Amino acid sequence: MEKKGWDGFEIGAMLRTFDGAVSDIATTLPENRPYSQSSSFTASVADWRIEKPLFNKDYCIDCQFCWVYCPDMSIISRDKKMIGIDFDHCKGCGICVQVCPTNPKSLLMFPEQKDEESALAEWPKKEKKDQAEEPKED
Amino acid sequence: MADTMELRDIEVWDGNMAASHALRQVQVDVVAAYPITPSTPIVENYAGFTANGYVDGEFVMTESEHGAMSCCIGAAAAGGRVATATSSQGFALMVETLYSASGMRLPIVLNVVNRAIGAPLNVNGDHSDMYMGRDSGWIQLDSYCPQNAYDLNFIAFKVSEDHDVRLPAMVHQDGFMTSHTAQGVHTLPDDVAYKFVGEYKPMNDMLDLDHPVTHGVQTEEDWHFEHKARQQHALMTAVIPKIEAAFDEFEKLTGRRYNIVESYNMDDAEVAVVCMGTSVETAREVAEEMRAQHGIKAGVVGIRVFRPWPLEQIAAALKDVKAIGALDRSSPHGTVGALFNEISGSLFNTDTKTVLTNYIYGLGGRDLTKAHLVSIFTDLKANADAGKVTTPLQQYIGLRGPKLSFF
Amino acid sequence: MSEMKKIKNLKDFSTSADRFEGANLLCPGCAHSIIVREVLNATNDDLILAASTGCLEVCTAVYPYTSWDASWIHIGFENGSSAVAGAEAMYKALKTKGRLKQPDRVPKFVAFGGDGATYDIGFQWISGCFERGHNMMYVCLDNEVYANTGGQRSSSTPIGASATTTPAGRVSYGEKRNKKDMMAIMAAHGAPYVAQVAPNKWKDMVAKIQKGFAAEGPVYINAMSACTTEWKFAPEDTISISDLATDSLVFPLYEIIDGTKLNITYRPKNIVPVRDYLGAQGRFKHLFTKQYDYLIDEWQTRVDAKWDYLQRREEASV
Repeated sequence: MEKKGWDGFEIGAMLRTFDGAVSDIATTLPENRPYSQSSSFTASVADWRIEKPLFNKDYCIDCQFCWVYCPDMSIISRDKKMIGIDFDHCKGCGICVQVCPTNPKSLLMFPEQKDEESALAEWPKKEKKDQAEEPKED
Repeated sequence: MADTMELRDIEVWDGNMAASHALRQVQVDVVAAYPITPSTPIVENYAGFTANGYVDGEFVMTESEHGAMSCCIGAAAAGGRVATATSSQGFALMVETLYSASGMRLPIVLNVVNRAIGAPLNVNGDHSDMYMGRDSGWIQLDSYCPQNAYDLNFIAFKVSEDHDVRLPAMVHQDGFMTSHTAQGVHTLPDDVAYKFVGEYKPMNDMLDLDHPVTHGVQTEEDWHFEHKARQQHALMTAVIPKIEAAFDEFEKLTGRRYNIVESYNMDDAEVAVVCMGTSVETAREVAEEMRAQHGIKAGVVGIRVFRPWPLEQIAAALKDVKAIGALDRSSPHGTVGALFNEISGSLFNTDTKTVLTNYIYGLGGRDLTKAHLVSIFTDLKANADAGKVTTPLQQYIGLRGPKLSFF
Repeated sequence: MSEMKKIKNLKDFSTSADRFEGANLLCPGCAHSIIVREVLNATNDDLILAASTGCLEVCTAVYPYTSWDASWIHIGFENGSSAVAGAEAMYKALKTKGRLKQPDRVPKFVAFGGDGATYDIGFQWISGCFERGHNMMYVCLDNEVYANTGGQRSSSTPIGASATTTPAGRVSYGEKRNKKDMMAIMAAHGAPYVAQVAPNKWKDMVAKIQKGFAAEGPVYINAMSACTTEWKFAPEDTISISDLATDSLVFPLYEIIDGTKLNITYRPKNIVPVRDYLGAQGRFKHLFTKQYDYLIDEWQTRVDAKWDYLQRREEASV
């Protein structure tokens, strides 16, 4: 954000999350929200990552464990389906991979520079000894 | 809807009762407070108004003064009229949050019934708490009597809540000498008082659910300086004109005139004392006597607005005097008194050639007698005649034991 | 009162639109964020939020950015509770006076604070708010340490943990005192609802948050927040460490209603040894020596006794 002079911002260091009015933000998805430049949604922490999670939808069962345990709102789920990762906000912690219950996992960590195509090409196969467990919610 | 209260044109009120009625009449939305001598009756009176249907706002008795001001800040940020009262140790406990309130630009009115700060513990009036607040970014208005304590509350709300200002304001009165001394107070009818201050106009209010707002952010070295500068700019440029406008409007409404700097017998004064609180009234009386009985052209300058410090107005008020006594009712702990410093700073770059000395008086509620003021004016006359300081720069007056002075 | 949000399962829950934003500055793998999401997503009602100084606060409102999509306030370290209580008082006043801008909407008032802000420096303020009965929820993000300032002990730091002000050393095993029982203290205020939650048990958490939102009066939530930085485990292990905490019963999940009635809300099928929980964290590494191994046994004894106590309280229905 532009570093304004002392007379260039709101009093009291007050910040507004949105440009203009929002009436029902709890049911408005991010893509439909009028975020202001003051919302950290408009910023990126992509450069925090050393490794990044990549998603293989072929194995995903849409259990949403990754969604609920992501500390950075970076698992994008729409209509109860996991559809991708928000790489502006993902810090690369790897929780999504840890909690993924499928066999093989539908999310795996790769070096930040890895391209998705080659990652998917070398995705591990199902391990025979461990059947994919039906996830239980608790 | 709260009941209105029929008041006589003149009520016999002490300063605390006057302040309580002002809070009731402006229909404060949230009062969050904690009792402490000598401001306790403000809160008790207000509780009584609430218990009898004269208040329909919320009255929150917190667990401490820090909690009280914290609640006030939350309430003010939520978006409504907020006030509280405190003194002394309680004020000291609040100090952290005072900076938060001003930094977040939240209009809150704090009635400070001035009292000494321990140790040793003391419940009586001096200006230690007022001085402790002077760097906190609040507007500080000073009352000399119960009438002032009443009137200045209306001024405080009106100025503090102005969208060009949005800074919290303290209304000071002297513990016991004003707060517990009943005098005739000219009143305003409830509706007239409310109309003078006007309806609260929210700004950046948390309770506007369509416009979420973040208050109380962190700003480090790349932003903090600019934010504090902006706050100082408002305090330095917006406040005095708004107070002057409010004083003018108040005079039209009531006939009572207030000034940023109160000058008494200053037109031809050769010597003057500068002081605050109830001492102003005593000094005025003695100045008259010095003129009548001793032929000394004595005047008094009373500080009405302690923060923002009205540097130019003070310089103008004192420009023709030959000797000035700055009377500080707070232990300066290691330097000259605050008023001495402020007046020095106000006059230093001007053409005024005057002799300035400092008197420390009245700590812990010790009386300032007329005899003390006679001796001060006599000192000042000697300084004026000599054109230089003939006494120590800082003298303690009204103190038992050997004479104490410094510099 | 608005209708409670229906969350039957995780798929339902995943349709929530978060009101807490990314690119905040919390550590990778921070449990605070997971807890905040589970709390905020438990309702679709409007929110008025406060935070005391601490990790959550300094990482989510650093100028010129805010990560909050609802009104939010921070004053100081000790007074997040009072800030939201003040806002709640103003809400009541403006409601009485007919000056609310959106009179049909009833916001929820929630304050967040770390264990430093809750167990220690803000204790008096919270107690005041609870005694006065403000309609608010206080959520303690309990990571058992002053994490924001680099790992000093708080009165929530458990025995044997090495913190920077109670470091383990040649003649010390670290923190010497038992963690303060905030749950009991807050229940003793007569609060309508007090509950301990953990982010790995999201369903239990959401059910409790919804109960809390439905209660009239002050609600206390003690949320275990496994801290990758100060507990010293890898960021991806936040949930597995949390599982060890709840399944070893170091953090039993229970609720206390109206200050008296205690319900256990999670009973692990396989209770894991406390030793496994401690062994997974660097802050307890020094206990795994001949010198201090007895402390691990003492830990187990304490956890067993507490679990026994909770079960007897539940059974006695008092």
